[in-house]
Amino acid sequence: MALFILEDAAGIGNDQIDTFQAFIDCVIIANDDGVGLNDPAGGRQQVTYARTENGPPQLRLDALVNTTFTPDYGSGPQQVDTVVIPGLAGFTLDDGTDFRHNGTALAPNSSGLAGASLNTTEFCLVIYDTQQNICVARQGSGDIDLPISNPVVLYHEFSHAFRIVNNGLLALTGECDPSSPEENAAITDENDLRTQIANRQGETPALRDPGIHCGAVGCDGGCCIIATVASKSLNSKQIQFLRSVRDHFVRSTEVGYAFFQKFFYDYYSFSPQVCTIMVGNPEIPGHLLEGYINPLLDFWKVMIERSGNNFSDAELGAAFVRHHPDRAAAQSRLEALQSTVAYWMQEETEGNSAPAELLTLLRERAWPSEYMQWALVAPVRIYHDVLTRYLAGADEAAIGRAFNNELDTWAPEIPISDVWAALSAEEVVKELEFCENVLLQSPASKKRFHQRLLDRFADITSVDVVLNGLTANAGVVQ
Amino acid sequence: MKGRDTKPDDLKASIEAVEPRPGYTDEKTGKKTPGELELVVRMKNDADRALHYISDVRATRYDPNTKILTVALSDEGREVIPGAIMKLPVFRRIDPGSTAEIHITVPDRIIKLSRNAPPGEIAFETHPLSEAREVVVEIAWAEVPYYKDTRGKDDNRLPAARWEQHKARSTKPMRGGGRTPKK
Ligand SMILES: [Zn+2]
Repeated sequence: MALFILEDAAGIGNDQIDTFQAFIDCVIIANDDGVGLNDPAGGRQQVTYARTENGPPQLRLDALVNTTFTPDYGSGPQQVDTVVIPGLAGFTLDDGTDFRHNGTALAPNSSGLAGASLNTTEFCLVIYDTQQNICVARQGSGDIDLPISNPVVLYHEFSHAFRIVNNGLLALTGECDPSSPEENAAITDENDLRTQIANRQGETPALRDPGIHCGAVGCDGGCCIIATVASKSLNSKQIQFLRSVRDHFVRSTEVGYAFFQKFFYDYYSFSPQVCTIMVGNPEIPGHLLEGYINPLLDFWKVMIERSGNNFSDAELGAAFVRHHPDRAAAQSRLEALQSTVAYWMQEETEGNSAPAELLTLLRERAWPSEYMQWALVAPVRIYHDVLTRYLAGADEAAIGRAFNNELDTWAPEIPISDVWAALSAEEVVKELEFCENVLLQSPASKKRFHQRLLDRFADITSVDVVLNGLTANAGVVQ
Repeated sequence: MKGRDTKPDDLKASIEAVEPRPGYTDEKTGKKTPGELELVVRMKNDADRALHYISDVRATRYDPNTKILTVALSDEGREVIPGAIMKLPVFRRIDPGSTAEIHITVPDRIIKLSRNAPPGEIAFETHPLSEAREVVVEIAWAEVPYYKDTRGKDDNRLPAARWEQHKARSTKPMRGGGRTPKK
């Protein structure tokens, strides 16, 4: 007997712990149905495991489940069992550390190992958030953009636990780059599971850099509608383009980062469920590709060309036309757009073949979000208008004029996050410069955006100083 | 020109609001969103130089006897333990004479391991933070941006705890939490 999952305990109650998720995570680590759970006893359920596979994750799980560990921490051998505490919201250690978006393995109280004084028990405790959304450093680039799934978090903590119950914990430091020897070892183990899971799915493994233990909350992981549709229909170059749109416009700045945090929060409140619905409705990706995703991509392609170049109407019109050399293809694009609007964007109507649950989901989750409206809905509407004008025979200047007008109305309405209030004046100037360069090019749209910032942050010095300074300077120039 | 020396109270914090955000369960997915408290904190820099501070919650401590909730934007007193990731603090800069505002959240309850469990058992204490009488926010700051300390590793503190010079503090009675206790 060695590995348990907590099911209930004095002081909380059994609906507070995500026992089932921890069990599922163990099954994913084992990759077979040899994992079982005994009936609850003393508030915990013992994990059982009859191993059939021989990979490192299976051997490690087997050892944790089927070995009786008796480490000697200095006062003679003692039996140490491991107890997993999954998804206990609000769980906080005595030093104030909580486990939202993280996990840990705590050595038994009497062991004297790192973290032992925070553990009130003689168990090795594995604690992890089952609703985590964290990003870790990608091997190769070192960028903190690699998602980590629940089984991988659990397996990482099992690696620490394994060394704790063998009294082999390595050195820990407060630094995350370079990582400590203990974290380096846990990440190296974690990569065994990443490799195996990717191989099971026929994918190329994306590994974590063992030399970097730093991580961040908020990762663009999970199921993304756009990526799912794209992976069935687009080449990887186009998917790369979607990432570059994100990186180009926003990820690199404070305000952009905050924008994406909120955007992802709203986006992932419905996107995974849409993916589930798509599995049962294979016609949806086809509808979406030409009727939504490609128009969205083309919109942002033109926006990237425009950013940094103050396009005249004629230049913007020319850019749009350049992206649509084939009139017949543009015509069928317009038809696809119109059918998508009917299928996807509208209310439930008689004869609408879209699944009701999809429409409900979008109505309740997607459309009420100002982030979804601004970034995913309005651009396609603008694109639709411009494409209609182009196909009606307008010349480049007229197309560009209509396009610029719509952009001037749309761009300054970008959702404004609280982060502006926490910036220094110099940072406000930098962020504003960036926004103006890539998005807000006309004087009218700059003015509108400044006004929105002033209305929202009237009493924040840095915003006030910068914007009222700008107004004063503009007065002198004119 | 050298300015005046910075004083330990040059960075001022004041808690403007404490808003409970109740938790809920999504009936479609079963996903639970735990309840939170959102705090709005105003910062003011009275120094004649820019100051640098931590802008995210690093530790949440609750004392059930005094009913004081302490939200620490500081790594002081936190232990180095194994983890899935190490989250570095989010640092911000505030200009001389400037104000700023940050929004932070903490869980609306704290669950701790009980020190009174019978041997061989695990027990917890749950403290709903609606019981708190007072909330204290502590914000670590320094006159210089965070930098990596490259000296020897015999110091067990987290790097940001070595960096901080002072803390800005603000206290606020909680709604319905009774009188403000005497210091
Ligand atoms: Zn770790």
